[in-house]
Amino acid sequence: MINVTNVKKSFEGFEAVNGVTVHIRKGSIYGLLGSNGAGKTTLLKMLAGIYKSDSGNVLIDDEPVFENVKLKEKMIFLADSLYFYPNTTIQQAAHFYQSMYSSWNEQRFKMLHNVFQIDITKKIHRLSKGMQRQVAFWLTLSTMPDVLILDEPLDGLDAVMRQKVKNLLIQDVAEREMTIIISSHNLREVEDLCDNVGIMHGGKIIIEKDLDDLKSDVHKIQVAFKQGVPVDLLKEVPILYKEERGSVLLYIVRGKESTISAQVLAHQPAIFDLLPLTLEEIFIYEMRDVGYEIENIIV
Amino acid sequence: MFQLDIRSRVPIYEQLVEKWKELIIHEVYQPDQQLPSVRVLAQELTVNPNTIQKAYRELEHQGYIYSIPGKGKFVAPQATTTNNEKVMKMKQELLKLLSEALYLGIEKEEILSLITIAEQSTKGGNQDD
Repeated sequence: MINVTNVKKSFEGFEAVNGVTVHIRKGSIYGLLGSNGAGKTTLLKMLAGIYKSDSGNVLIDDEPVFENVKLKEKMIFLADSLYFYPNTTIQQAAHFYQSMYSSWNEQRFKMLHNVFQIDITKKIHRLSKGMQRQVAFWLTLSTMPDVLILDEPLDGLDAVMRQKVKNLLIQDVAEREMTIIISSHNLREVEDLCDNVGIMHGGKIIIEKDLDDLKSDVHKIQVAFKQGVPVDLLKEVPILYKEERGSVLLYIVRGKESTISAQVLAHQPAIFDLLPLTLEEIFIYEMRDVGYEIENIIV
Repeated sequence: MFQLDIRSRVPIYEQLVEKWKELIIHEVYQPDQQLPSVRVLAQELTVNPNTIQKAYRELEHQGYIYSIPGKGKFVAPQATTTNNEKVMKMKQELLKLLSEALYLGIEKEEILSLITIAEQSTKGGNQDD
């Protein structure tokens, strides 16, 4: 559905996005993760047809998205910093959206009032940051988009609202096969929402995969042995990381759960734990591979 | 419905598969009973519908459920379920527990008598049915 091939974008000689290729299926929730300044927002803005790419293609349903009114009517980009016209009330903003998006659903707008219980005659800029976010979701979901691009969407929402919004998003994905692209650096936030993730660093996608595959592909193991560490321990699987904590060894290894545990158990360890990684850990270890790591800098 | 542990390290789809297996094995869901649709379950659990689809596919692959196109997913009768994988896992776990028990000094006879107790309790359960 969404095909991005080899896009590049630079600002005054700085290459923000440098040859990114992404494929996103219809009805999927795609998580775009990355280090600060990796080029996530630039990529999202190109996906939304706000920026024109310097080279490469951004196709949605096989059509280029830039300046394509027909396509853009069916998609919404929710930026990290919201913009509303000065002095508009929620009602006025809704009228504006209604005039811009032909798929505007008035019934839905009214129904969502039960979720976002904010007086629609209130001026938006008088609301708190979190409530403004709620208004943005309210308006967005009322336009019934096919593609929803969210940049740091859940910042500023309280725990209850966050869960409500997530639930609303999931309903739309389940019922209308809406496609969501979501960027975030709060990994725990997107971990339970996404099915596919792409990790960006320095303007490039360094890894793109099904989240469950990613998780079942890398494991953390803790082992200890009674008599010294066997020499040929884990010789046949790629070790991403190794650490010794006293007599307990900590490894991050790539491979299937069964092959790893078979190999370790063959050496009869005294303690053996095998844990799947959290998205946060995957992120940290993948970033280490490209030279972006946590160092303990003493100042 | 059941609750998933979002904080857990175990991937959500694996949690879903395990929960369903539990419900099916313990006959909370009877053979030929219909499972909730992907849409309904996604909304109820706030879980990505694609993840639920994947879990259902895995359950079908393992023979716990079957699907009728256009109708939905149903619990497969237990007799046809291939529980090989489960049995293997259980044997491994038992072995681990037993070796630990022996190490801690529990007598072999004691373990054997526990087996008899377990046997009696399952038989007793059947008579009550």
